[in-house]
Formats: sequence, C-alpha cells, structure tokens
Amino acid sequence: MTLAPEKKSKKTKKLSMKARYEALTRGLDWEPSYVAKDEMFPHLDYEGIKIHDWAAWEDPFRLTIDSYCKYQAEKDKRLYAVLDGFAQGQGHLSLTDASYLNAMKVFIQGVTPLEYGAHRHFAYLARHFAGPGPRFAALCQSIDEIRHMQTEIHTLSNYNKYYSGMHNWPENFDRVWYLSVPKSFFEDALSCGPFEFLIAVGFSFEYLLTNLLFVPFMSGASFNGDLPTMTFGFSAQSDESRHMTLGLEAIKFLLEQDEANVEIVQGWIDKWFWRSYRVTALVAQMLDYMLPRKVMSWKESFELYFEEQMLGGLFEDLAFYGIKPPRHVEDAIKEKELLSHQVYWTLYQFSFAAGFTTTAPTDEHLDWLSQAYPDTFDKYYRPLWEKEKKNIENGGRHFARGLPQLCQVCQVPMLFTEPGEPSVLAQHESEFEGEIYHTCSNGCQWIFDREPEKYRQAWLPVHQILQGNCGGPTVPDVLEWYGLQDGDAGEYIGSRDHKNWVAWQGEAAADTAAPTEKAGA
Amino acid sequence: MQYELKTQVIEPQRHTFTHIAKRYGDKPASRYLEGTIDVQAKEHFHYRPTWDPTREIFDDSYSIFRLTDAYSFLDPRQFYYAPYVTARAAHHEAFATSLKYIEDRGLLERLSDGWKGVLTELVIPLRHLESAGQLILCNMARFGWGASITQAAAYSGFDRVGNAQVLSRAGIALGGGTADLLTEAKQHWMDDAALQPLRKFAEETIVEADWGVALLQLDAVDHLLYDLLYQHLDDEAVNNGAPAYSLISQHMSSWFDDNRKWIDALYKAWRADPELGETNAAMLAEHGGAAVDAALAAVTPFAARIDELLGAEVNAVDRITTKAAEVRAAYTGEQA
Repeated sequence: MTLAPEKKSKKTKKLSMKARYEALTRGLDWEPSYVAKDEMFPHLDYEGIKIHDWAAWEDPFRLTIDSYCKYQAEKDKRLYAVLDGFAQGQGHLSLTDASYLNAMKVFIQGVTPLEYGAHRHFAYLARHFAGPGPRFAALCQSIDEIRHMQTEIHTLSNYNKYYSGMHNWPENFDRVWYLSVPKSFFEDALSCGPFEFLIAVGFSFEYLLTNLLFVPFMSGASFNGDLPTMTFGFSAQSDESRHMTLGLEAIKFLLEQDEANVEIVQGWIDKWFWRSYRVTALVAQMLDYMLPRKVMSWKESFELYFEEQMLGGLFEDLAFYGIKPPRHVEDAIKEKELLSHQVYWTLYQFSFAAGFTTTAPTDEHLDWLSQAYPDTFDKYYRPLWEKEKKNIENGGRHFARGLPQLCQVCQVPMLFTEPGEPSVLAQHESEFEGEIYHTCSNGCQWIFDREPEKYRQAWLPVHQILQGNCGGPTVPDVLEWYGLQDGDAGEYIGSRDHKNWVAWQGEAAADTAAPTEKAGA
Repeated sequence: MQYELKTQVIEPQRHTFTHIAKRYGDKPASRYLEGTIDVQAKEHFHYRPTWDPTREIFDDSYSIFRLTDAYSFLDPRQFYYAPYVTARAAHHEAFATSLKYIEDRGLLERLSDGWKGVLTELVIPLRHLESAGQLILCNMARFGWGASITQAAAYSGFDRVGNAQVLSRAGIALGGGTADLLTEAKQHWMDDAALQPLRKFAEETIVEADWGVALLQLDAVDHLLYDLLYQHLDDEAVNNGAPAYSLISQHMSSWFDDNRKWIDALYKAWRADPELGETNAAMLAEHGGAAVDAALAAVTPFAARIDELLGAEVNAVDRITTKAAEVRAAYTGEQA
C-alpha cells in the first residue's frame, strides 16, 4: 500500500452525501489488540444470535450530529412555546371534561417511566453492539427517550398543578398495583440481553404495537382539547418513525445474518407480542371508557392498527424470512370485543386504590358502546352497568372488597375469559419446583412455562400487600404507602377534580356572561 | 406603560410534583428538576438481569463510587434534553462557520508540514479515541444510579460522537474533500508507535466495568490531551502562523470546558456526601491518581511525537507532565 498525498491535491473527487455520512460514522471502529474482542463485547453470544457482518447494518437515517441537534432543537422550541402559551392562558379549562385527565394520569404513571427505562437500555445497546452503525442509532434513541420522558413530564406538569393523580408518579410506578403491569413488562425487557431487548422494545413495542399503545393517547388528546399532549404527540412522531424504522431494520438485520437466528427471533416475537399486547389492556379501557369524547373503539383500533396494518402488511413481508404471525394472535383477535369492558369493570371496582378515578358510563356512553360492540356489549356488559346504575341511585356505588389475584406474568388481575367463551373465566396453572403459579391466558402461561425461573421472581403487588410489605394491613395504610392523596382515587363524580372543574367552569361562564349582561343593561 | 390582559385566575392545588416538593418545598420548579429528580425507578425490581443475576436492573453497586442521595449530584448546566440539543446545535453551527472560513481561505493547505503532520498523524486519529469515549459514557448511562447521572453521561456520550465528527470533518477538509486522510488516520491509530499506548489505554478503559473508575480514566486522558492539543498547541498555532489549527481547536476546547462542569460537579458531590464522602475521597485519590499516572504514560509518546514534528521548543512532553502533576494533586490533595 502506497500513500500518495500529492495526487489528491489536484483533482479531488468530493464525497457523495452517503459516502460522507459513512466516512463520518462508520470507520470509527477498530479491531482491539490489547484486550480480547469478546471482553470488549461480552454480551453478544449468550442469547444464541449469530452476527457475521456488523457492517451489513443499513442506517435507516443518515443523521449526523449537527443535523440531529439542529432539527431536534427546532422541534423543542415549537413544542415548549405551545406548552407555555397553554399554561399562561389556563388552557386546561378548554378540555372536554376533567375526567379526560384520567387517561393522562395513567399515561404519566405508567408510560413516562418506561421512556426513562428505554433511555437506559438503549444506552446498553449503544455500549454493547459490536458495530458503530447500530450503536449510533441506539444512542440517538437513548437520548430521544430522555426527550420523550421530559416532554411528557413538562406537558403534564401544568395539569398537575390543578388536578389530582399525577403528583407522585415515580413512587406510584414503583409501588401501585396496576402499574406493575407496565413496570414488570418493561423490566422483563431490561433484564434481557441486547438482541432480545431490540426485538422486545425496538420491534414489538415500538413497531408492532406502537399504534395501539401510543397513538390512542395522542388521538384522545386531540379529541378532548388537550393541545399540549397532542402537540407533544406530533413532536414525538418524527422520533418515533425513526425508532420504528430502527426496529424494522433490526429484525431484518438479525434474520439476514444467520438462518439459525430465525427460530430464536420467532420465539421472541411470540413472547413479546403477547407481553406487549397485555399492556394494551390498559389502553383499551382508556379508549372506550376514559375519554369523554371518543376517538374510535378499541375494536376498531385493533382491527385497523393491528389486524390490517401488521398482520395484513408487516407479517406478509416477514414471511419472506420464514417468520410467522405471533403465537396466540388468534386469542387476541377473539378478545377484541371483550377486552376493554372486562378491564374497565375491574378498574371501576378497584379505583379506590388507584391514582385515577372511575365512574359509571352515562346512558349516552352506554349507547355508544352498544353500537361499537353490537355482538357483546348488550349481551354481557350493559346489564352490569344497568344494575350498577340502580345501585348508584340507591346510594350504593360498587367497590370491590378484597384484593384481586394477579397473573404471574402480565400482572393484570385474573379477569380475562377463555378464548371464544366470554363467560368462562380463564385460570391457568403451572407448577414449577413444587409451587403453583397462576396465569390469565394461554399466552401468559406459555410465556411462564418458557422461562419459569424468570417469572417466579415477579414482585406481585397483591402478594406483597398480603405479606405486609406495603405499609400495613389496611387499605388506608396501603394508600398512604402508595403516596396517594385525598382526591386521587375513587369515584369521579363528587371527587376533588370534579368539584373544582364545575366551580371553574362556573367562574368561566360567569366571566363570559358578565360583559354581555352589562352590554344589555 | 403596560397593558393588563384579563385572564381567569385559578388557584393551583400544588406548584410542583410531590417528589420535587419533598426536596425543595411546594414552589414552582425548573424544567430541569421536574425532568430529572427521582425519575429512575428505585425499588421492587421484578427480575434479575440475565447478563448479571447478582445485581438488580438498576443498581448502585455498578461502581465503587456511590452517593447516599443520587440527586445530590445535579448538572450545573441544568441540561435537560431541550437546552442540551439547543446548545449543541449552536456549537456545531459555529464549527461549520469556522470550517467554511478555513476552506474558503485555503488555510489548511497553507499549514506547514509540521502542522499537517500533527493533524494527520495525531489529531485526526483521535476520532477513534472519541469513539472509545462514546462507549465508556454509554456504559455509564446504562449502569449509573439516578437520572441526573445517566442523563449527563448520555449527553456526554453523544458529544463524543459529535467530537469524532468534528475531527472527521477537519480530516475530510484537509484531505481535499475526500475520506483518504480518515483512512490514513486509522492506520496511524492502529500502527504508529506514538499512538499505541493511547490505544491500549482506550481499550482497557472500554472494558473497565466500573463506570466511575472508567470515567476517571477517560477524564485523566482528556485532561492531558485537551490541554496539550487545544490550549498549548492552540497558543503555538497562533504564535506560529497556523490559524487553521487554532480555528478548529477553539471548538474542541470550548466543548472540554463545558464538559468539565458536570464531571467536576460529580466529583464534588462524591466528596461532599455526608456518609460516603470520606470513602469516595479516598477512592478518588487512589483511582484518580492511578488514572493520571496511566494516562501520562499513555500520552507521553504522543507528546514526544509532537515535539518531533513541531520542534523541541514546543515542549509538549513537559506540558503534559506538568498538567498531570496538577490533576493528580487535585485528586490526592497532595502538593504538585
């Protein structure tokens, strides 16, 4: 090899955009000589995935640092301008109703902490992948996730000043029973090696189910006068599309690298589809019950975003690699007309111990549900609410007594029914080393049986309460340990948020009315 | 004269989140605090990591350096994401302006052979060292305890990619718009005797599992190299007609000054910890001192090569030796 520096001074061939990007980002790696390569990247073998050529990773976005910073800074400037304006103008008074914020309470308690977790483990990928292309993509996502966590906090910070349920979200996340659903889900992913995490979060969560998980909150915001959250949603969109593209690139990369990877990846898709899908149970009830102004039903959302776009689109493409649609997907499809009703009915009864409030649907709302779920709602669920209406008229709003049994895997209370049998409660049991573990579905049982030594470790909130690890034996003890305050939990009608809302709307109406009266006088 | 808009006045129920109010009282809190304090989960982790079942998913035992309260360390720059990317957008724009001026005026071509040699053989290959910094800081962003630490580490790791790109862009410009000098720089990094101790140091720091110790090692080598290349040689460049070097150098040194702020604040928090401060100070003396000694050994052949290229009167070896004594004294509390 000869170095001929003189030659290039005359006739230079400038780099193309692509070549320039690669020169800036790709050549940075080197083969270590002073430590062993598997010492430098020690976590790449144990999951069984084989990568032969890290350089085959195609960067979906050719972002250099300068363009990334410039673009993101401009987006944040616009977003924070909206947040400031909304706060200054008491924009929260233009929401459809204060009860809408229950959706956002679930969001800050259950989703925002996951963004932080994603920041951490994408940093892990940015450390442990042996190729600079995927490492840089992971690092971008790691700091994007900080952005999402913070813009969510800053978006909801203004509501927190006026409404209940949002004030203690980090401690809620670590302690409150229903939040162990998203927490255990994400910690399941955080405890994985780099490749499974990439499939779990990069592919299953960010790609396969993102439209079911994330979009309903943002659409709900736009339908209910929540301008800041909607703006946040739009602002996060271009990041998300980068993350989705990363997830898709990741799966293709793994499948193309070695044929033996296909079976491992299929197992992860099977696991993480069901794991993520179970988290959407909280979203399903939010869509159908918590939004004063409805966007679409869970069933419609599931059909459009999952059956049509994923099963119909994505998995047809993945068939090329020998990937099949996820195991247990049929069970999820059978459940689409039941899920939200079963979950909300449970949350309704247990909201005395939650960081949000619930209320019985109005007649108009019941009619909407009947229409949206013609095959199931009138048959199975409307009678429950009609009966509850009578209870309420007699002053006896129903709250559950006792504590629900939780699924060992997804940690949702065992409220689901067997596929195709809406009146048969699903109760699955597995035995591991002499102990019995309960799961809520075929999917969760399959996941448990695959890795019992992992799922036996779960910190199940109800077990913990019963063992006396959650502040004490009585409900008030536990609520205090949760850090909940008066007004956070229970029934919405008559709650602190409801009373304030009525009073503030009254003042606003009086303010608007006043000048007219004067003008008329 | 001001005009008064009439708006509905509503008394807030609270002024900030409960976890912020517990520390600072119920008053409006900055976006940095609301976006940082206590946001990391800290208890009831469900599963042990498959890659290290002896620890929790987030665990403060990934480093010997610990804080009783993780949030006694705060980034003095108050960088949450928005101000961070805004500051970096300005930083890279300023560099682009300098580079354009350098290119328009043909300043790189006008450098003497000595200065060209310094850039080609020694400075541009450091893009690989920046890349090592990225790995080291990403490890810290994953395994640190508390969001104030992991956030600062992630941004600093991202900065390292930015630094590598600044050096690469200078290399592309010096190579007449081609990547030839980057290829050449990699060969220097892989083969040159002047760079091997540094590369060895980088590789050993990448595999250091304790993120606190790794930070000290990276920081020690930064102290010596950034001072030598972007302070000392910057002066030399100004005095000896190498404006292109100085115009690039200013951006590296302004980054270094900015980056020091969070690292120095972290050391300060380690020392000031009411319970662990004494232990931390002892370990800073031990591991900080050792890191400086190792870094000095690693950078000495590099500095000696500068003296060869630019002339012995540059005194590069003397400069790093003096600097090392100064940094060492800061760790150990002994006189330099």
